[in-house]
Amino acid sequence: MIRLQNIEKVYRTETVETLAINSISLDIARGEFLSIMGPSGCGKSTLLNIMGLLDEPSKGNIKIDNQDISSFSDKKLANFRNQKLGFIFQSYHLINDLQVLDNVELPLLYRTSSPKERKALATEALEKVGLSNRLKHFPTQLSGGQRQRVAIARAIVGKPQIILADEPTGNLDSAMGNEIMEILMNLNKNEGTTIVMVTHDESMAQKTHRLVRLFDGSQVQ
Amino acid sequence: MYKHLFKLIWNKRKQNFLFLTEILISFLVVFAVFSYLTYYYKNYTKPLGFDYNRVWAIGYGGGQLSKNPDTLSIFYENLNKALKAMPEIEEVSFSSPNYPYSDSFMSAGLSQGGKKFNNISDFHVGRDYQKVWNVGLVDGRWFSKEDLVSKDKGIIINETFSKELFGTIKGAGKLIGDFDNKNKLKIIGVVNDYKANGDFVPGNNVMFSQLDTAYLKYTSTLLIKVRETADATFESKLYKFMATMMRSAVEIQHVDEMRDARNRETIIPVLLFIIVASFLIINVALGLFGVLWYNINKRRGEIGLRRAIGASGNSVSYQLVMEAIILATMSLAVGCFFAIQFPLLNVFDIPASVYIIAILLSVLFIYVLVFICSLYPGKQAAGIHPAVALHEE
Repeated sequence: MIRLQNIEKVYRTETVETLAINSISLDIARGEFLSIMGPSGCGKSTLLNIMGLLDEPSKGNIKIDNQDISSFSDKKLANFRNQKLGFIFQSYHLINDLQVLDNVELPLLYRTSSPKERKALATEALEKVGLSNRLKHFPTQLSGGQRQRVAIARAIVGKPQIILADEPTGNLDSAMGNEIMEILMNLNKNEGTTIVMVTHDESMAQKTHRLVRLFDGSQVQ
Repeated sequence: MYKHLFKLIWNKRKQNFLFLTEILISFLVVFAVFSYLTYYYKNYTKPLGFDYNRVWAIGYGGGQLSKNPDTLSIFYENLNKALKAMPEIEEVSFSSPNYPYSDSFMSAGLSQGGKKFNNISDFHVGRDYQKVWNVGLVDGRWFSKEDLVSKDKGIIINETFSKELFGTIKGAGKLIGDFDNKNKLKIIGVVNDYKANGDFVPGNNVMFSQLDTAYLKYTSTLLIKVRETADATFESKLYKFMATMMRSAVEIQHVDEMRDARNRETIIPVLLFIIVASFLIINVALGLFGVLWYNINKRRGEIGLRRAIGASGNSVSYQLVMEAIILATMSLAVGCFFAIQFPLLNVFDIPASVYIIAILLSVLFIYVLVFICSLYPGKQAAGIHPAVALHEE
């Protein structure tokens, strides 16, 4: 589903050159639940951003769903992200001025769909994460766990094949973290969604199919 | 998408209050400027109704002249002939002091069909006044010597006034009452509308009546149309001639210069207003630019998220420009509500079309201003790197 070949990412300033990712190659199969672990600054999020087409590698090649995305224009990349990828972030990234339902509808605004369709899909996604009774709430009226569930609903509303989760339980206590993990595992199991999750939590990582460890930008496991 | 943007703006209305207020105030200022400009432009495009070129106005005092009316009448006739005999002079006419651009105003009233018409500019003129000013006749004729002895005093009015009085029926030949409706006046001719107070000021309704020789002693203005050969030497010669004849101080004024002065009196305050308004608009533009810039910096996380979930750089840019346009529309709706009261309540007695045009121009101006001010911040937003923006949050 995702194929990374010799990915390298170098950040350059006028005086310093930092190697964030050092020649990583990775194959992620369709329906796989993969976790990435490693100490802070080892390049986990950078690697996830590269997989999510939010950042470009300095070297190497990425194929998603057998498509080489290196020649894609900005518009085509945006469309590809919208159709194929769903994102979950540690800090939720919900828009506080929009109600829960509107937040979940967001990805559908960037594809052709009617308001009625959008509402139906968003409601369905919120039902899946157990928040059908919070449609009209604003994010600030929800707990951290509930916010992350809204973010998951937003990630799955467009029925993407891949979900990229950057420390989805990082801001939550263990009970809420487990709830979120449960939702992600169900998604993977029931819908066959490929999930790549960056985490610091060993116990969460152990629940996934495969664990990749990074250290100083290189894959060590 | 529009519904989504409207919802977003509505939910952030408190944060957008400053932006909305700025746009509203700008609109009202721009509306005032455009109302002035439209009003003056509309007046400017209307024909003058006469030709001021090479017309000189000679002011004199006639106190030292003979008191005998017959002698005086012959004197003025001879003076007229002597002036006309000068090769540099084309036409000569006596006039009441309220000739065009003279800063002097005489008004009269008339009655017609039980209705009174006030504030009609009343010009008392000589028979050759039409030739001096090249006043265009629309209907009827100009004054003749016989009109001075006719039963009903003859008058000439302007076209718009004729239409006000008689609609589509021709005014020439009609009888009309004086202000008290005690005496009848006969309309012998209708002339083009007459814009006597400057290019930018609307013409009044006017009425011309012929100066009787018995009243020439009360006049102190002589209007002459000179030929192109009339120069400063001739002016000096004319001055001496008139001073000798009238035995008084004489003042010669060129009407084209008087017109320029009169127009300046109108234009300068408007120019000052435009300059002040321009500074305000520049400040508002910088303010809008700053507010949009600030908003974008505050919303980097949101922009990063939108990019991640499928927005291209262009659609982010488009969204921010559209948000500014929607905000402007909200302010303009309030502004138009106030502005539309001017034509509805007939404020300042200015035609409704002036206000309507000013509203449309102001709306267009504000949209262009907002569009330009939001374009660069929108472009900057499109350039925000999603990975960086999401990480910052």
